[in-house]
This record gives sequence, C-alpha cells and structure tokens, in this order.
Amino acid sequence: MIVFEDVIKVYDPDVVGLQDFTCHIGKGEFVFMVGPSGSGKSTLIKLVLKELVPDSGRILVAGRNLGTLRKSRVPLLRRNIGCVFQDFKLLPNKTVHDNVAYALEVVGEPRRSIRRKVPEILSLVGLAEKTDSYPHEISGGEQQRVSVARAFVNHPPLLLADEPTGNIDPETAVGIMQLLVRINRTGTTVVVATHDRDMVNRMRRRVLQLEAGRLVRDERRGSYDQVTEEVGDAL
Amino acid sequence: MRFSFFLSEAFGSMRRNWVMAMAAVITVFISTAILGAVLVTRDNLNQGATSLKNRVMIEVFIKDAATPAQTQALERKIQGLPDVKSYKYISKEEALRRFRERFGERIVANLPINPLPASYEIQVKNADRVDAVAQQFFSDPSVDNDPGTHNGVKYAKETVRKMLGTISLIEKGMWVTTGIFAAAAVLLISTTVRLSIFARRREVEIMRLVGATNWFIRWPFVLEGFITGLVGAVLAAAFVWVGNWGIANWIQSSQIDFLSLRVFRMWWQGGTWPLGLMPTLAILGALLGAVGSLVALRRYLKT
Repeated sequence: MIVFEDVIKVYDPDVVGLQDFTCHIGKGEFVFMVGPSGSGKSTLIKLVLKELVPDSGRILVAGRNLGTLRKSRVPLLRRNIGCVFQDFKLLPNKTVHDNVAYALEVVGEPRRSIRRKVPEILSLVGLAEKTDSYPHEISGGEQQRVSVARAFVNHPPLLLADEPTGNIDPETAVGIMQLLVRINRTGTTVVVATHDRDMVNRMRRRVLQLEAGRLVRDERRGSYDQVTEEVGDAL
Repeated sequence: MRFSFFLSEAFGSMRRNWVMAMAAVITVFISTAILGAVLVTRDNLNQGATSLKNRVMIEVFIKDAATPAQTQALERKIQGLPDVKSYKYISKEEALRRFRERFGERIVANLPINPLPASYEIQVKNADRVDAVAQQFFSDPSVDNDPGTHNGVKYAKETVRKMLGTISLIEKGMWVTTGIFAAAAVLLISTTVRLSIFARRREVEIMRLVGATNWFIRWPFVLEGFITGLVGAVLAAAFVWVGNWGIANWIQSSQIDFLSLRVFRMWWQGGTWPLGLMPTLAILGALLGAVGSLVALRRYLKT
C-alpha cells in the first residue's frame, strides 16, 4: 500500500525530516509509528499526502508513483486516503452532518447516496444524536469521531492518523482506537502516528520507530519501547 | 459539479461572515459609485463639448457685384469641400429680415438701400478643421474681402481655438481620473477579498485535505465575490443614476439651460454608453468581485 525507497527530505536550514528512509507497508496492515517529536512522523504523513515532495527517493501509494503524479491528480490521491489529525480539522461552521457530507460532495457523490451514507457512518461512530451539532458544541472525543467518520465515509483503502488521541482523555482514546481497528478489519490499511505508550503496548501491532528521520526499528507485534527478547517475554 | 451546492455554500458563508460581506459590498459600492460618477460626468462633458463644437460656423459674405455664375461657382466649391457638414444660403433679403428681427423696425426703416451682403453659412464636420475650411475662401474673387484682407470670411477663430484646447484638456483629465479610480477600485476590492479569505485559510486547507479539487474550492468563493460585487455595483449604479437625474432636473428647472445634462437610461440603450449605466457598472462590479476572489485565493491553492 505504501512504499518508501531511500527517501530523503531536508527542510530549509539542514533540518532533517527523513533520512534514507525505506519501508513497505502492505495492504490491510495496521501500523503504529512511534518516536519523539521531530523524528519525522508528520513528515512521512505529509509525503504520503503529497503535501510535501521528497528531495530524493521514491514513494508509491496504492501503486501510484507520487513523483510522477501530476498536480491536478493530487486531489484524486487524497480522496483515496482518509486523514485524522490531532486537532481534528473540522470545518467550524458546518454541522457534524455537513462536515462528513463535505467529503462526499467533493467526490461528486449523488445527493441521495449522501443522505444514506452520512447517517450510517455517524451511527457507526456513535454520533447519531449529534448530527446537527456544530464542532464547538461537542467534546474533543466526539469531534475526533466526526473526523474519523469523515475520513472513512468514502471507504478509502488507506487511513492515516496523526496523533489521533493526542488531545483527548485516555478513556475516550480507547474508543477512537477501537474505531480504527474496526476500520482496519474492513480491509483498510491504517497507519497511526502516536505517543500513546499504553495503547501501543496493549495492541501489539507492527511498530515503526523513527528517530531523527531514520527508521530505527520495525517490529511485528511490537511495543512502544525497544525491549530485549527476555524482558519482552516477561511482559 | 453541482451548482446548487456551490451557491448554497456561497450564501451560507456570506450569512456567517456577514460583516465581511457587508464590508465588501460597501467597498464595491463606493469604488463603483465614484467610477460611475466620473464616467457619467465625462459623458456629460463630452456631450456639452460636442454640442458646442456643432455650433461653430463660418460665414462667407458675397460681394454685391458678384455675378450669379460666380455665386454658383462659390456654392460648388463649398459642396466640393469634404469637411463641410452643411451649408445654407442667406440672401440679402433674409439677412435684412434677421437684422430687423434683432435690432427693430426703426433702424431698418431709415435705410435707403439694403446694405447687408448675401452669405453662405457653413458648418464643418469637425471643429478642428474650421481654420482649414475658412482659408479656402480667403482669396476667392466672389467673396466680399476688403483689398489685402480676408474680412469677408468670419468665424470665431480664437474662441474655437480656446474651446478646443479646454475640451481636450478636460477630456484628458477625465481619462486620468477614470484610470486612477478604476485602479483604486481594483486595489480596494482585492484587499477586502484577501482579508476575508485570509480569515478562512484553515477552511481552504481542510478542503484540500479531503481531496477537493482547486476548482471545487474556488467556485463558492468566486460566486461569493460575484454576488457581492453585483449587489454593490447595482446599488452604486442606482445611486449615480438618481444623482445625475436629480442634477439634470434641477438644471432644467433653473435658467442655465445651456448646461443641459443628459439623463441616462438605466437599462440598455443605443447612446454613447452602449450598455447603459446599470449593466455597465453591474458587470464591472461582479467581475471585480469574482476576479478579486480568484486572485486572492491563488496563494492558498498552490501545490
């Protein structure tokens, strides 16, 4: 689903975003990206969305080479990628319903199917009651669920989440993570950048650990921290 | 693409950001009203200048001794000049009749003979050519010139020169004014639009993230600019029209009738303003709004 080959991204005055980064993420995987702030997690997500262009190296997303993808096709790429952010990124002057519907309007979905799909996905994320509320009228956890609903309403093959639980309390965070797992079960590849140690340790999924723009660990069923074999077994 | 969706997006955003929308409407109103006032004034001045120019006339006096053949030759000469718009023969009798009308019966009654010469009154097509046309008759044998002069040809040489100078100066001045105000209008409007789009740059960012194409993002903004510009400009056109109409009426009712102002029609007409006041300003305003939005959006739609 995502292929990075020798990708280098350097920000202006020698601030390294990614350094010789190579990794493959398969279709239907659920992957955690961990690492301190500035280690390159957000850079990676922006590269996948083609918000940024790498200085060198090759990036493939869903079989498409982003290097040769024309500017005018970028919106089409993004429609195939659901995005969830730490700060939710909801349109403040649209209701919960209209925020989700916007993602469908963008792809030219017929009105009838919008009327069907939006309530469906909102009840899936447990927000059927909040359809007509505005983002500022609901809690952080609820806003994040709206954002997940918007990301998934098109059933994209890939879903990226940048610190999705960073701004919400641990209990609500579990709910969000469960949602992401359910989405993953439908076959959608899910990549989650996170600082949430407990969550990663509990879920035991593939973990990519980044440090200063390099991939320092790629572990199947990994934990948040690098652990030796014995200690890992002891846990 | 769904037009109704874009339209409802545009109206929704105007309702939410109504203060900004009002500011934009007022900006368009002020700039197009000034522009419209300048244009109407210019048109009125042009009209006045044209009517003054049309009054410029050359009088060619004919010698009493001229034979009918000579007079006819003179007439043929006038006919042959390309710059002549029209001419009229004033016989001795006609000249006397006019004189009598103007100065009264008493003076005329004491005259033993009719001292007034017959003449041609010539109107030229273009006031700038008055001199050239008049010169054609300076040395004509049938013209009543005193020896060594050409006082048999009369026209308001100095007046014409001054008048033409003034008119062309005023015309140039009005063009410059029009240009300045048009530029000011564009700047003012694009600044207002840029401000309102700056306030919504996050919105644009989110739209792009969910995969909206640039035109999908642009349409509501462009429509919004178009509507704002249209409303402001229509108000401005009405304002200018009422102002012009009021002044024209006032001038007509007073005695300064040589200043007669044109009352413009609001809608399509075949005059010097082929589009009429309202459509010209309305289209201008709407285009200003729409183009302003496009330009202001450009920097948020890179990638």
